[in-house]
Amino acid sequence: MASTVIGAGITIEGEVTSDEDVVVQGTLRGKLVAKDAVTVEHGGVVEADITSGPVSVAGSVTGNISSNDRVDLQNGAKVVGNVKATRITIADGAQFKGNVDMDV
Amino acid sequence: MATGHATTVIGSSSFVRGRVTGSGDVEIAGRVEGDVTCSGDVLVDAGGLVAANISARRIVIRGAVKGDLTAEDAVILEAGARVVGDLRAPRIAIAQGGLVRGHVQTGAAGAARPRAASAAASRATPSNERVAAKSVARVELAPAKKQAPAPAARAASSGNNHAETRERPKAATRVGPPPPVVPVLKKGTKAVAHHKKR
Repeated sequence: MASTVIGAGITIEGEVTSDEDVVVQGTLRGKLVAKDAVTVEHGGVVEADITSGPVSVAGSVTGNISSNDRVDLQNGAKVVGNVKATRITIADGAQFKGNVDMDV
Repeated sequence: MATGHATTVIGSSSFVRGRVTGSGDVEIAGRVEGDVTCSGDVLVDAGGLVAANISARRIVIRGAVKGDLTAEDAVILEAGARVVGDLRAPRIAIAQGGLVRGHVQTGAAGAARPRAASAAASRATPSNERVAAKSVARVELAPAKKQAPAPAARAASSGNNHAETRERPKAATRVGPPPPVVPVLKKGTKAVAHHKKR
């Protein structure tokens, strides 16, 4: 399992940089930069700008999301911030407040 | 995820700059700059690089750490561990091949512990001596009172250091002739007399 996991109950305050997948089940405040996928699971809280590959959100994100791939806001997701991605899906039940910028 | 939801993993190509706090286990195979504090276990894997203090229930190191390690349960340095910093835990294990540069202290975790321990130790020895001195002094003094109030006899009988310390606890480590015993005795008798009057 070559990925980084921020487990439930753990809080990281600062900057996380990764060349691999990042899974957030806990809390991350600061900045998140990943070359690969970022997954914010249900219960995960990210108060940070996310720059990464594909992003999947089922938890809470406060901050701008910038992806060079797709962004999926799943049911139960709560996102406040601007989203920049090539593709984006917002599932039924996802809360979203912000601008969407898709490369057209 | 396969390792359980409470486990946090900093992967080998990940870099965290900042504080990591909370409950649950933390496994570090990448780089962390910033303090790591958690209630579970912390494992710094081979290849892991931590430039921070680590505080946890149990700390296992196989990689490199620059910072103090404080554990409530145990600090275990396995082969390949390189630690520059102080280790403090009730149990500390350093396997063959583990490198440490720093102060190593077993005992209960906590910054106040070393001072308290040394203070307790420094207190314990004199008090023990004092107890011993008291018991000796009683034995010595009892016959001395019966015999005579002559200062010479007193001095002779109380030539023993223990007896002197009993009479003058302030100058516990006094070495030398005991003539000052006489004025001290006067003081004592006066004080007793005053107390009785009042």
